[in-house]
Amino acid sequence: MSSFDQTLDVKGAKCPMPLVKSRKAMGDLAVGQVLQVVATDRGSIADFQGWAKTAKNVEIISQETVEDGGVNLYVHYLRRTA
Amino acid sequence: MTTTDAQATETMFTAGELYDRVLSGEPLFILDVRNADEYKRMRVEGHRNLESVNIPYFEFIEDEDGMCARVPADREVLVICAKEGSSQYVAGLLQERGIKAGYLQGGFVSWGNFYDVREVVSADWGTIVQIARPARGDLSFALVSDGKAALIDPLRHIDVYQQALADAGAELTHIFDTHVHADHISGGPALSQASGAPYYVHAYDAIHPIDMLPATIAYTSMEDGQQFSVGQITITAIWYPGHTLGQMNYLATAPDGGRYLFTGDGIFLRSFGRPDLGGRGEAWTPMLYDSMFRRLPPYLTAETMILPAHFSTIDEDAGGGIFAEPYSTLLTHNDALRPRTLEEFSAFVLSHLPVFPPEYVEIKRVNIGLSTPTEEQASELELGKNICALAE
Repeated sequence: MSSFDQTLDVKGAKCPMPLVKSRKAMGDLAVGQVLQVVATDRGSIADFQGWAKTAKNVEIISQETVEDGGVNLYVHYLRRTA
Repeated sequence: MTTTDAQATETMFTAGELYDRVLSGEPLFILDVRNADEYKRMRVEGHRNLESVNIPYFEFIEDEDGMCARVPADREVLVICAKEGSSQYVAGLLQERGIKAGYLQGGFVSWGNFYDVREVVSADWGTIVQIARPARGDLSFALVSDGKAALIDPLRHIDVYQQALADAGAELTHIFDTHVHADHISGGPALSQASGAPYYVHAYDAIHPIDMLPATIAYTSMEDGQQFSVGQITITAIWYPGHTLGQMNYLATAPDGGRYLFTGDGIFLRSFGRPDLGGRGEAWTPMLYDSMFRRLPPYLTAETMILPAHFSTIDEDAGGGIFAEPYSTLLTHNDALRPRTLEEFSAFVLSHLPVFPPEYVEIKRVNIGLSTPTEEQASELELGKNICALAE
């Protein structure tokens, strides 16, 4: 697990909400800080990758899949770069 | 979402309504907000009037104004995403800016799993029903006569067929696959298990052509020329090797003289089935040539209706969403069937081979019981349109 400065729980949220909320949360970080996002939407893996490519100030540090009581959690670590 | 007023004016399209629009050829602007690789693999296709643009939804989240400005303000826009949520979100953003935008209910998943059922012929001896999965260009058929029914090339979602037969009040007596398919998972074995009706496929197709392993599913083989009765319909099995070793064509003849040839991946309306999907293209091409120019012609008349298992583009709609037409009509626009020498034919095949989708090897395993996917894996395997025909 990577270290992080803020965490965002979007478990149960369906597309596009994990990304909408992450976008907003990134805006509240200082440049260089890391946001942890915990999602249950499998599509978030590819979507965050696509978003990081498009966005000017978002970098993916890592993405992990963690099993939690039979449910897959998709955990993203994103750094604000600018 | 905070745009309550705008939401009230977003139009929701069902997959069926979308298909009606696609068939009608009316202008339609589709904004597909899925990831670029999903869009590349499969998208809603239609006639020339259907315009489609891919801007992933996260680009709208990143730059609302910039992305909305890329959407034509004077067109009716249908937004499509994977599951619905993001398309509704983006349609809301467009509505706020005065653009007439709707979204697809259930997203691309519902389009991919949408089945269209319509009658090809209805006569006093019975009916022939086309059951299409338009997103993939897959076609299957039900033949119903005197309360008995046969299915040809049924697709994976077997409830569609069970419902169609219940509606027709018919008992399923025969399930035919023209061949072991590579592009989609057959519903034949599961329907056979559920109904007790035999599942027919030629034994030559019950060995995986790459793995060289035998089928573990229950099936009944048949002979070239073998006949079956379904009510007043007679079905003749015609061996047509080339696309696969055991490919069959089924000729249904009705009491009024009507002839309906179910060609599977033999002859298509604008092309024909490629001989390379078994990994033995060079050896199978001359066999396909022999099937096409020697084996099949004795069964063909100008009026024989040709009903293939696929279409490649919606332009093959022969009218009213039916992808079938008389042999004489087909000959006027199917350059692939033009008489050629074997050398010319082989050259034609080689110069028109599309890509070989890697998942086709695994789908054949699934279809003969060598592999059992979960529902999620099954949908994953069936992403993308069929690529069974030679390119035009």
